[in-house]
Amino acid sequence: MAMPSLIPQALAGATAGFPVKVNPKFDGSGLDLTSYKYVTSYNNFYEFTTDKGGVKELANQGWKTDPWTIKIGGLVENPFKADVNELVKKLGGIEERIYRFRCVEAWSMVVPWDGFPLRKLIELAKPKSSARFLKFTTFVDPKSAPGQKRRTIDWPYVEALNMAEATNDLAFVATGVYGKPLPNQNGAPIRLVVPWKYGFKSIKSIVKIEFTSKRPVNTWQQLAPEEYGFYANVNPEVDHPRWSQASERIIGGGFSARQPTLLFNGYEKEVGHIYKGVNLRLLY
Amino acid sequence: MRVVKLLIWTIIAVGGLYPAYPLVMGDSTVLADPAKYLLEYYGKTATLFLIAVLSLSPLQTLFPKAAIVRNFNRHRRLIGVGAFFFALTHLCFYAVYTGGLSGFFEDIGKPFILSGVTAFAILFVLAVTSANRVIRRLGGKNWKRLHRLVYGAAVLLVFHQALQEKAGAVQTVYFFAPLAVLQILRIGRTYFQPKKA
Repeated sequence: MAMPSLIPQALAGATAGFPVKVNPKFDGSGLDLTSYKYVTSYNNFYEFTTDKGGVKELANQGWKTDPWTIKIGGLVENPFKADVNELVKKLGGIEERIYRFRCVEAWSMVVPWDGFPLRKLIELAKPKSSARFLKFTTFVDPKSAPGQKRRTIDWPYVEALNMAEATNDLAFVATGVYGKPLPNQNGAPIRLVVPWKYGFKSIKSIVKIEFTSKRPVNTWQQLAPEEYGFYANVNPEVDHPRWSQASERIIGGGFSARQPTLLFNGYEKEVGHIYKGVNLRLLY
Repeated sequence: MRVVKLLIWTIIAVGGLYPAYPLVMGDSTVLADPAKYLLEYYGKTATLFLIAVLSLSPLQTLFPKAAIVRNFNRHRRLIGVGAFFFALTHLCFYAVYTGGLSGFFEDIGKPFILSGVTAFAILFVLAVTSANRVIRRLGGKNWKRLHRLVYGAAVLLVFHQALQEKAGAVQTVYFFAPLAVLQILRIGRTYFQPKKA
């Protein structure tokens, strides 16, 4: 059982002191929360290092995430630039949602995120009818992010969703975790959370969202197309070339913690209809 | 040299026991997934030991007069068995990580796993034929021929390590490049030895 009551409700909200309201649809019933120390010290963030244990230190050596401006543009009626805090205020504050989080590396967490539904931001931008995809771009700053000195990835990191995915009720933009502002290593100050997809789709530290008509190529698909696709939906039936995806290690669960992986990470009811008729074995 | 032997034993002991430190200190980056941490730690250690043992004979050829190289060379077998010991530990933690044998066999056909398992099988054969008694029984020539399989294990390990790296096999290059250079220099020295005046 998750215990949202443990999260101090009086604590300042994730961004600019907004109170956190728990969304009852995603209150984490039946899930065991991964503790704050693991959520914030076991991170994939190649902008700093490929070593999950090393990100926390490197991301907090002078990398500035406040203030932070995000730019919304492309095929929209209302392109705009906004300070992240101002944006949250404009969208009516934040809510808490407890989601499963499944990494493509076959490990998983349960995280209480604070933020707002992506759909609210889309409504504000007013996409044109020609807009079919959302392209998300993260920051480039090799001086603060030493991992970006490595040229093995074509920085900046980009991710994308199609419109049906982006407007789904589950698609979430997080600005906090455990009722506190997102720590740098978790993608401060604003990140995507799409819990039915492998973690790499949930892009961190977003600086730009563009609406496009053509499907963007996401970073991992570009790097290793035979290993990572566009959809990257959690799917226990489709193996990674190097390991099985049928089960997952539970972070913080000790030596023997492993559990079966669920189709769409357990969110089939919410998102299954998007992929009706799609061959998920080919379009992984 | 007893000091050298003691030094090698110390490195094996410290290398083997080191992970106890972050586990006991409660390092959350390690406790997040301890089996994976140990699996990766011992894999890396095994690789470094194998690289060390394979560097010794080229060093001997290149620096025939260096006493330190000669002393370490006398204990090549100990270093090699050390590499096997760490590979075995690595394999055991892999079984823990996958959640037992069914998970282990599920992935065995994947090139990433198969290369590691094959390299381990080679090290196993070499380790069990390392006792003096077995060497005598095989005869020096056969023993040497059999133990050349270690180069096969090294090539498999390059593949195995490079595959598990993310976005560019940088560490594999750092690990194996010095060994590759030494081996090339050794071959050069052996086949194109300058005539003595």
